Amino acid sequence: MATRTTSVHPRRKSKEDKVILEHSLELCEKMLKDLEGGKRPKLTATKCALDNSIYNSKVGFLTPGSKRVSTELNVSSVKKMSRAVFMLEILLRNIETGNVNTKRELYYISKGEVKHNKLMKALDFGDQNESDSVVDFICEMLECYREEMNCFANDRGGQTYSQNLVVTERLPDGTEAVIDLSQLGTSPFQPKNRPQNLTLKAKGKIDFCLVVESEGTANTLVANGFVKRHNSIVVGAQGVPSNAVRGWVKRIQDQLRVPIYFFGDLDAYTMQNIFRTLKAGSAASLIRNSDFSAPDVRFLGVLPEDIKKYDLNDYPVNERDAQEIRALKKARDALANDPFFKDKKNKGLSEILHWLINNKRRCEQQAFYSVDPRDPQMAEKIIIEKITKGHYV
Amino acid sequence: MTKPRQITTSSTAEYFSKNLQQVGFSSPTKAVLTTVKEALDNALDACEDHHIAPDINILVEKVGNGSLKNTDRIRIRVEDNGPGIDAGDIAKVFGEYLASSKFGRGRCSRGQQGIGISAATTWAIQTTARGVSVTTKTKGQKKAVKCLVEVDIKNNKGIIRDKEAVDWERPSGTAVEFLIDGRIQLNGEAGLVNYLRGNVLVNPHMTISYTLPDNGTTKIERVTKDVPQIPEATEPHPHTMKLGEFISHARLFGKMKTSNWLKQGFSRLNDKILAEIWKGQKLARALLDKSTEALNEKDISGIYTAIQKAQLPPPSTQSVMSIGEEALSLSIQRLGDVDFFSVISRKPMICDFKPIQIEVAVARLKDRRGEDHDEPVQVLRFANRVPLQFDKAACAIVKAISTINWRAYGIKQPRDSLPQGPYIVAVSMVSPFIKFKNASKETIDASDELVEEIRRALMQAGQKLSRHINRESRVNDHETKIAHIEQFGPILIDGLVRLTKADESRRIKATEGLRKLLGRDALESEKAVKVAKEKSEAVDAKRHRIKMFREEDQAIESREAEKRAAADGLDEVDAIASESEDSDDSEGGVAVVTAKSKKKIATKQAGQIIKKPVKKAAKK
Ligand SMILES: Nc1ncnc2c1ncn2[C@@H]1O[C@H](COP(=O)(O)OP(=O)(O)OP(=O)(O)O)[C@@H](O)[C@H]1O
Ligand SMILES: [Mg+2]
Repeated sequence: MATRTTSVHPRRKSKEDKVILEHSLELCEKMLKDLEGGKRPKLTATKCALDNSIYNSKVGFLTPGSKRVSTELNVSSVKKMSRAVFMLEILLRNIETGNVNTKRELYYISKGEVKHNKLMKALDFGDQNESDSVVDFICEMLECYREEMNCFANDRGGQTYSQNLVVTERLPDGTEAVIDLSQLGTSPFQPKNRPQNLTLKAKGKIDFCLVVESEGTANTLVANGFVKRHNSIVVGAQGVPSNAVRGWVKRIQDQLRVPIYFFGDLDAYTMQNIFRTLKAGSAASLIRNSDFSAPDVRFLGVLPEDIKKYDLNDYPVNERDAQEIRALKKARDALANDPFFKDKKNKGLSEILHWLINNKRRCEQQAFYSVDPRDPQMAEKIIIEKITKGHYV
Repeated sequence: MTKPRQITTSSTAEYFSKNLQQVGFSSPTKAVLTTVKEALDNALDACEDHHIAPDINILVEKVGNGSLKNTDRIRIRVEDNGPGIDAGDIAKVFGEYLASSKFGRGRCSRGQQGIGISAATTWAIQTTARGVSVTTKTKGQKKAVKCLVEVDIKNNKGIIRDKEAVDWERPSGTAVEFLIDGRIQLNGEAGLVNYLRGNVLVNPHMTISYTLPDNGTTKIERVTKDVPQIPEATEPHPHTMKLGEFISHARLFGKMKTSNWLKQGFSRLNDKILAEIWKGQKLARALLDKSTEALNEKDISGIYTAIQKAQLPPPSTQSVMSIGEEALSLSIQRLGDVDFFSVISRKPMICDFKPIQIEVAVARLKDRRGEDHDEPVQVLRFANRVPLQFDKAACAIVKAISTINWRAYGIKQPRDSLPQGPYIVAVSMVSPFIKFKNASKETIDASDELVEEIRRALMQAGQKLSRHINRESRVNDHETKIAHIEQFGPILIDGLVRLTKADESRRIKATEGLRKLLGRDALESEKAVKVAKEKSEAVDAKRHRIKMFREEDQAIESREAEKRAAADGLDEVDAIASESEDSDDSEGGVAVVTAKSKKKIATKQAGQIIKKPVKKAAKK
């Protein structure tokens, strides 16, 4: 057996859980007090938007500025607030008991509550969008991730392979599971959306971690022997990194202190939405970026110069593809407004954006397979060459 | 009273009898609609020509099974109080193609060609072997003439049968009765009811009573006694003609001095302008003095080119007419229980080098409010006051409606489509030269310029409407706010009390606090509603309310117009000439061109502003 479970303890609330519970009760207490005094309760939260984002290269990720958003109780917001308190009750109960739910389940749970209590009929959610937005509102006000409210989305991305990595997971019931990745055969290890419960240890030498945009390509590299030949960790990101991937890579950076390289497409979308989020977090998650970004990640490619050097097949941006056009427009915005790309420290990255805007061409990570079509290890060889020669940004 | 006009004929009965689908008889349902339409159009045209306020009776009923598959035998009777038809003309009118008093006159009448009613007769004969039964009486006659008219296809001639003199209580008028095979479609966009409602809207001066199967009799009274006058046509503008048309135009005038032909046969050409053209284009002076018959093709095409190159004032807009905002306002309320509405009469203008006038009415219906609001609005299209019911997709009117952002006015609208909700959006275009997309005349050609003009009218109407919608949404807002307080207040407090494990005394105190807070809010929103309500007082006194809305709208509009004028730096031009060009028209008085005479008019051509010569309306 690759995993081992320690003895069963009764359910113990984690430190984070306690913080959330306390914070929630404080909030409710204050609202009730205000009401008793005939004062309008007011909920405020950090504004999570690009215009409130600060980037300091020494910190390495986007941090919030001083702007706040607030919701004050009045005739128009009374519905939203009462729904928030109603949903908060359900979420806090989950934290107390250690239950978790998806957003969709929460929608049905709230429907069920309303069904059994006629007085609450007015709260009834018409569709899941309504209940989702209330959950989001609560997280904004408490400045926490919904995973911390025990509300989980489908785990997505983060499939990880290594011959030298051992992960210890602290379980909600206080027990622990130890996973030796070298014992998983061809199966990957996949981190959960709340990677804070994971502790990483190297059982041998680990030279670097490679994060691959396409999970499929990550699988291919591993199947062809990448982690056997190189002391490494290979992680598949699968598109825009989920919280799980972001927190996981951050754990790798902090606990293993190995260089991390990102390998993905050369296009505006990858640079801005995938790589920037991985390295410095996002404007939407300003308050959580400290735990969910890995500032040391380097952009290995595909780099513009790789196209010539390896004679890669690139192609023009499809002017009819709305998404690609939007990405280019966003890239222009980013160069003008995104403090991450405006920072001198990231000049190499903003130059890539410039190149993309000017040349309107893109090149996919899989293009490395065109270099020597008969050699299944070609992509691996190029990746290693780029790492050893320092060809990354 | 004017005499019925000379009726001209042309022999093409055979062609039309074989191609009835081209003139509206393409299916059993359309056949019924077209028959009603041709008869009603004629009745309304005739009344208008003789300044009679129309009193129309229509009966459509099933009398048995039709001989064609899936059809019924249907009786259609349309009766008017118009001038009647001279006994000697009956055969021509109903049995002869291209016999018309309106043919090629460039007026905005409904009928244009002299095909309509004869085609209906032909369809009747083809399907039931029975011609049209006509009863008609002209003023002063003691008895009416009643007869059956058939079409002699071979000779394009009408044949009269069973002629008799009968008593008829109407002082004058015409009744036509067809027995045809067809199918009755009452409802839906292409239904009879919609068609009749459309006519009700654009004919405020009409009283109509219609009896439809399973629908009983509906009588709708006129809302104005003013019978609109179709202005006489102006002569064609030379820039609207192609070379071939120009040549045949010359031949039409026969022997005449060329300069006289040009001056009399066209608008906007006079001695001064001709002199300038001749000088500018270096034409031989002698050409002007030649007889038109002596001109060869080369001469004519030389003249044609020179005139095309010359800068001419745009065509006159006197040949168009409007229903008028006043009358439209009254008329639209006949379409149902109207909540509120707005109407716009644009000034007559030149579009694609032809005079046109656009009018728009948008109304919200009360009785449809409970229904599904995702339904597209009801679009009513009119070309020279004839409702258009088919092939709407490519129509200039639909294009204009769906390219406007109605959301800005508070009306729901999916992207690039018709807006939604219990609204009627009616657009009427009047012009002696409406360009249709196809032969069936159901789709107005969507030129950019025309679509833009319709859009402008719709936007004005939308702005007016949005004032009413906003007023209403404030009332709604208030209602939901009150409901919110009552519903959510206690729930919010209960939740907080449970979470904080507070006791009953805190709950009571918090409830009081919340009441106070939200009561304050409610009071405020109530005030806002009151302010809005005061503005739109006397909600039940419909007429009054409408008048007020209109005054408010007009005040706002004139202010806006002033601002615009100030911005454009345009000079005020005194008044639109509203004189009739028809000199025989001795009794009828002034032909009203626009409802409001004191309006400035400025037309633009090639970026240059040309002031319209000011003529004072002849007071009679
Ligand atoms: N109800 C009526 N009362 C008086 N005159 C009529 C009536 N119906 C028809 N006429 C006369 O008969 C003529 C022929 O009518 P018809 O419908 O065939 O042609 P139209 O109305 O001129 O053109 P269109 O083919 O476009 O309808 C009309 O021009 C009109 O002079
Ligand atoms: Mg007719």
